[in-house]
Amino acid sequence: MTELALLVQGLLDGSIYALIAVGLTLVYGLLRILHVAHAALFTLGGYVGVVVTNETGSFILALVAAMIVAGIAGMIIYRLVYQPILHLPPYVALIASIGLFIAMQEGFRFYDEQGVSYVNPPVQGTLELAGQTLQLAKIVTFFVAIILIGGLGLLAAKTRTGVAWRATVTMPAMAESFGINIIQVRYINFFIGSALAAVAGVMVSLTTNLVEPTSGDVWSYKALAIIVLGGLGSMRGTLIACFALGVLEAFATTTCVPLGNIQICLGEIMNRDAIAFAFLVIVLMIRPQGLFVRA
Amino acid sequence: MRTKLLFAGVLSAGIFAAGMAQAQNIKIGFHAPLTGFAAADGKSAVLGAQLAVEQINAKGGVNGKKLQLVIYDDQASPKNSAPIANKLISQDKVALAISGSYSGATRAAAGVFQKAKVPYIAAYAVHPSITKAGPYVFRTSFVGEVQGRAGAKLVGDILKKRRVVLITLKNDFGRSLVRGFKEKAAAYGVKIVSEYEYSIKNRQFGPIIAKVKADKPDAIYATGYFFTAGPLVRQLRAAGVKAVVIGQEGYDSQKFIKIAGKAAEGVVITTSLNRDSKRAVTLGFIKAFEKKAGYKADMVAATTHTAIYVAAAALKAAGSMDPAAIRAAIAKTTVNAATGQISFNSLGEVQKSVLVQVVRNGNWHFHSKIDDKMLLAPPTK
Repeated sequence: MTELALLVQGLLDGSIYALIAVGLTLVYGLLRILHVAHAALFTLGGYVGVVVTNETGSFILALVAAMIVAGIAGMIIYRLVYQPILHLPPYVALIASIGLFIAMQEGFRFYDEQGVSYVNPPVQGTLELAGQTLQLAKIVTFFVAIILIGGLGLLAAKTRTGVAWRATVTMPAMAESFGINIIQVRYINFFIGSALAAVAGVMVSLTTNLVEPTSGDVWSYKALAIIVLGGLGSMRGTLIACFALGVLEAFATTTCVPLGNIQICLGEIMNRDAIAFAFLVIVLMIRPQGLFVRA
Repeated sequence: MRTKLLFAGVLSAGIFAAGMAQAQNIKIGFHAPLTGFAAADGKSAVLGAQLAVEQINAKGGVNGKKLQLVIYDDQASPKNSAPIANKLISQDKVALAISGSYSGATRAAAGVFQKAKVPYIAAYAVHPSITKAGPYVFRTSFVGEVQGRAGAKLVGDILKKRRVVLITLKNDFGRSLVRGFKEKAAAYGVKIVSEYEYSIKNRQFGPIIAKVKADKPDAIYATGYFFTAGPLVRQLRAAGVKAVVIGQEGYDSQKFIKIAGKAAEGVVITTSLNRDSKRAVTLGFIKAFEKKAGYKADMVAATTHTAIYVAAAALKAAGSMDPAAIRAAIAKTTVNAATGQISFNSLGEVQKSVLVQVVRNGNWHFHSKIDDKMLLAPPTK
């Protein structure tokens, strides 16, 4: 029974990773940039979600506002930070991205150094399911993630924009010669990826009721580990890595394995947040190309 | 050129004059996390210390001189606090220094102050090794183990709970508290069913809570700070876990209640600040702090406020700027401060009673007081 509960918790956490990692994979696939500052948009989403909910009382409005604000912020980041240095080696963009991440954290601190909380936290119900009490907010997060990411997949597969998008990812020069506006594709890319991170930020704030300037920290480097695991740029691989990591963390942090007379508890040996990297090291030793190679 | 020279002359005269004015002041070094994850505690620490300095200066200062705080941001990190300690000693030439920071940062600085023989008071850092740096290092709040032992008494003897789950914060704070708790648990009839650990960056406790629920404990001894405990308690209650949660001074902030909301009701903690205190010093502090800060007093503010009063009392008694004299005065001092009657043992550890607070109707209130001198005896070596 506990195993089932852990599996469920792992999958629920995995859906948050998915919301964040999708944007990161999109950016990497398109520009070959490790967009560390992506996690700051997760935090930004959280701040907007809490503040707008507190001001207006409408959570839906807050969620939409968070998506739009973070989406636009993502486009601005592309225009002001990445576009001018695209012709430079990739590490330049990486350094710029880390710098931007720190700068944005300090920006949040200017707004509210102690972090923000909901006055009346929305979506606080619980659900009894197979003998378990689950937080409604987490279930909603799971389905929101499935719907948004599934919708994105459909968009990429079925629409003209999607075709242009995929063409730009695989062969930017060829796509441009066929009349695709690759700059526009990049803007859309940053908007969608950032908006998804904002959704994750808002949904996480529902269960913690605390958004701090450093809220994005853990997610930023963990999401990087996830997209490397997933094979850098492979959407399917990234999604599988997200849920696999969520489940792995759930079991590894709480379960002890008897080894002879002693109990080996992984949770005592390493931090929950280190597990992603241990997993990454092991996978890279066996499969240097990541779990899933880009098709 | 001439105007430039003139300007430089005026400027240097100004600096000289400012230096003269400052020479009349007694400098107290102070480091706290003003930025980073612990910034909220850092803010309370600074405000608590500033309040104490203002109050003391308003009454004429110490031996005719005004106190002056020299504040640095250590981000609660040992790699920042050691250089800050060096700066406070050699550049700012402080008479003594106070840590308004966490254990990691305080441990690193304690060694530096001890080596330079500059008195150093840790306001609320709990790790046992801090005062072991040497005779120049003191602490105005409980060493982690002592508070952990009080936690065991609270659970087993006062609340009469038997089956306990530990949710332990994996840092100096959480681990030293839990060491003390485990040491005394059996003596109070407490059975530790299981223990889970989490890192300070964790805010999502789904898997741990799923296991805790299966453990069916009577009580949960969860170490942490308000920013980890707030989300933890909220998620515990949302998952239908009804066992009483026992926390420590890391919870001790109005912010904990704000984050956890209704889930905070009934949470019991061991701490140093009594909100329902009848003592004039404590009442005065609580009122003055809320007026200055714009939010309710917390443990961090109360202990840094206390540390400044201890420093002032010692400076007054020493009557000189000689570090050895100031050290000796701290060791001998007895101060009636916001967190209680403060005196130190031979290791520089504070001797006072533990106050138990409970959340009722969205505020911290008095629950009980642990006065057992044997149980609370701080280590002497």
